[in-house]
Amino acid sequence: MERYRASVMLCGGTGCIAGNSLKVRNALVEELKNRELENEINVVMTGCNGFCAQGPVMTVYPEDIFYEKVSVNDIPVIVEEHFIKGRPVERLMYKEPLKKSTIPLMKDIPFFSLQVLRALRNKGLVDPEKIEEYIARDGYQAAAKALTEMTSEQIINEIKKSGLRGRGGAGFPTGMKWELCHKVKGEQKYILCNGDEGDPGAFMDRSIMEADPHVVLEGMIIGAKAIGASKGYIYVRAEYPLAVHRLQLAIQQAKENGLLGENILGTGFNLDIEIYQGAGAFVCGEETALMRSLEGKRGMPIPRPPFPAQKGLWGKPSVLNNVETFANIPQIIINGAEWYKSLGTEKSTGTKVFALSGAINNIGLIEVPMGIPLRKIIYDIGGGIPKGRKFKAVQLGGPSGGCIPEHLLDTPVTYEDIVQTGAIVGSGGMVVMNDLNCMVSVAKFFLEFTTDESCGKCPPCRIGTTVMLDLLTNITEGRGKEEDMEILQDIAKDIISTSLCGLGQTAPNPVLTTIKYFRDEYESHIKDKWCKTGVCKDLCTFYIDEEKCKACGVCKRVCPQNAISGEKKVPHRIKQELCIQCRSCYEACKFDSVNIGPVALREILKEDLPAQEILRNMHAAALAGKEE
Amino acid sequence: MVKGNILAVDDEQIILRSCERILSPEGYKVDTATSAREGLDLLGKNNYDLIITDIKMPEMDGIEFMRQVRTKNPDINIVVITGYPSQESIKEALSLRIIDYLPKPFSPIHLLEVAGHAMELKKKGAAPEPHVEDYTDEVAAKLDAIIAKYKNKPGSLIPVLQESQELVGYLPRVVQRHIAKNLKIPVSEVHGVVSFYSFFTMKPKGKHNVRVCLGTACYVKGAEEIIKKLSGGLKVEVGGITADKSFSLETVRCLGACGLAPVVVVDKDTHGSVNPVKAMDLLKEYE
Repeated sequence: MERYRASVMLCGGTGCIAGNSLKVRNALVEELKNRELENEINVVMTGCNGFCAQGPVMTVYPEDIFYEKVSVNDIPVIVEEHFIKGRPVERLMYKEPLKKSTIPLMKDIPFFSLQVLRALRNKGLVDPEKIEEYIARDGYQAAAKALTEMTSEQIINEIKKSGLRGRGGAGFPTGMKWELCHKVKGEQKYILCNGDEGDPGAFMDRSIMEADPHVVLEGMIIGAKAIGASKGYIYVRAEYPLAVHRLQLAIQQAKENGLLGENILGTGFNLDIEIYQGAGAFVCGEETALMRSLEGKRGMPIPRPPFPAQKGLWGKPSVLNNVETFANIPQIIINGAEWYKSLGTEKSTGTKVFALSGAINNIGLIEVPMGIPLRKIIYDIGGGIPKGRKFKAVQLGGPSGGCIPEHLLDTPVTYEDIVQTGAIVGSGGMVVMNDLNCMVSVAKFFLEFTTDESCGKCPPCRIGTTVMLDLLTNITEGRGKEEDMEILQDIAKDIISTSLCGLGQTAPNPVLTTIKYFRDEYESHIKDKWCKTGVCKDLCTFYIDEEKCKACGVCKRVCPQNAISGEKKVPHRIKQELCIQCRSCYEACKFDSVNIGPVALREILKEDLPAQEILRNMHAAALAGKEE
Repeated sequence: MVKGNILAVDDEQIILRSCERILSPEGYKVDTATSAREGLDLLGKNNYDLIITDIKMPEMDGIEFMRQVRTKNPDINIVVITGYPSQESIKEALSLRIIDYLPKPFSPIHLLEVAGHAMELKKKGAAPEPHVEDYTDEVAAKLDAIIAKYKNKPGSLIPVLQESQELVGYLPRVVQRHIAKNLKIPVSEVHGVVSFYSFFTMKPKGKHNVRVCLGTACYVKGAEEIIKKLSGGLKVEVGGITADKSFSLETVRCLGACGLAPVVVVDKDTHGSVNPVKAMDLLKEYE
């Protein structure tokens, strides 16, 4: 084997590839060849590193130097300065957003240093397309241990003791699920992996499948031994072509190495795993629906019992676990349940992977111990809210979850505590929203999603969500009535209690939590016809506070309508006839001089422009109903 | 009021006359032709709602006649009459999408029924499925190969549909029927699956397919504006295709590339951090 003096781990996750990391790799390989360094510096294309917003990213070992936003043009500089002269390139290193200081080493960057990697332990360290690299990181040792040293009961006991709960969203104890299926007698059983990650704003499973496909296979082998299955399926969304490709490669390599197929490791244990591509239906994340889809039918849920552990795929006992759940299994088998339980809380043990996105500095994939407060995730790991804007809410659990406001940010992230807020941990999507987001519109966005994705089997879900969506649309378009909020809550209660599957039972959550925590926003939409964030175009008026305006012309330049008048040193004005409420001026102004008033102001401002003082009185008068 | 215009083609005068005698009093306008050639001439001059044709005719037979009709007029309703139906001729007639079949000799009531049925179909717009240029013999053979690969596997319908869509670009009704027939399952079941999953589409796609991500992160960062801009710029609704067939516009549920929000995917290229105002610029390199 070649001995290299340094290794470059270049991220090949979907995010970085979209940022051109493939071209960066080619340029790097080429440049190293030109400088005759190809036998000294090793270039490895890894799976998702997690720090997606800064992509393409690369880490140079052994120093652990982290470079971000690397482009093809940077390659000659890196090779010349870093690899030849030994002077790492400071310009490409991570900058701390608040203090503006440079942090050269990956392990010192808070985004990485505050994480605990278990399910993601190989991220950015192995080439996902080479089984040797996975094996070199102790891969398949857990499978070997489970197959040669442990009985099914012992495996199940270890997983039960570890307290591992299903990472797909519902949090059902994994060990219990396996035990249930193990006890059922049946010739043919199935072990199934749920990679149908449908929550908008979640990409944990995709990253695991892309960065470390073998860990999923190893988890499935152990699960198969525990329940006595000889056939497995991985159900992956068709929207994830890279994950499908890498899993396919992994299965083929595992077969070639005798780790899948017949008589695995000479133990007489057989397991065959196949990939099945989903066809785009959110409801197929639900286990009974997923099994119908695997059978080639419309993916509609069926009542339980019988549970899939008794009668699942093709009526045979089956266990379905999420990708991340399987990724945790090998480590539990190797290190034991006590080790796993050493992190997290009593009822929510271990770590959880989250996809952090939205209005936050460090967008990316993180793994943290259960029980960590939300505030720590958002401000320490996430690096806070960009552009000096204000935090408003964090959305957890996608369309089944809810929005958690600022005053609950100290809530520890556990299954129990998050449910108390009205949201759910869910599969791990965490979307941060700032003061530019209208919470009524956010609720509407999720309802649009669930209305569209409801499979139509249960009328309360099919019709109820449509009615709720109509009400929300009315509110955002200025036709809201005072009783609407009560009606929304009433329908929500009925949908929750009368729907068959998780989709319907949780669909109203985004509406309920936003009403609970942002009631004033609903009220100002309904009563004052005023969307204070300027998102609902029918409910706002943009105007310039001429005392604050410095006449810098920035708003004039960004206005797509040429609706802003005013010369240098003359305060600018917005012509209401031309304004399309695009909010560009509001976001561009550095002096906070663009105001958002209720829609009633629009007509008044169309007339001759009144003096500022009168304007302010009018603004107040337009809101009189609320002030009283 | 005329119930409908019918063209009858047969080399036997007696058949043509009886058609006229039965149909005319019931309000149909009937033109007759004693040869396929004459029939084609008439078709060139007039519009018909229904063609009734014999199969066995001298010179040009009914099959060839229908084939020529189909090249010019893919959607017209055709009924065949013949005294000597052979397996082969019926099979060929079916492949030319006839709507019915009249065995000789036929009763007046039967003829009226068939004519009435044809007019009803026409009214409903359910008349023969529009001709699909993407469904050629070559495509059909490739479909058979896909089906053969999965045939004896349980749960094969979805993978078959996925590969078929990759082949044809979309799943028109004729392709769905082809798959149903060869997998030996009801067409309704195939259509049920096609209409259930958002991945499947019954509309053709443009040369370049533009997909706008509607995930939460993209939504928060202005995905709706992007859709408006693209839809306005391309002059096409979401789910539609431009007049020159070069672009089709779709939305997609979260691509899981939230770090790059808002995201637009053109064919297989992912474009991240798209500026809504400049969304149309993205498409320049694809024109």
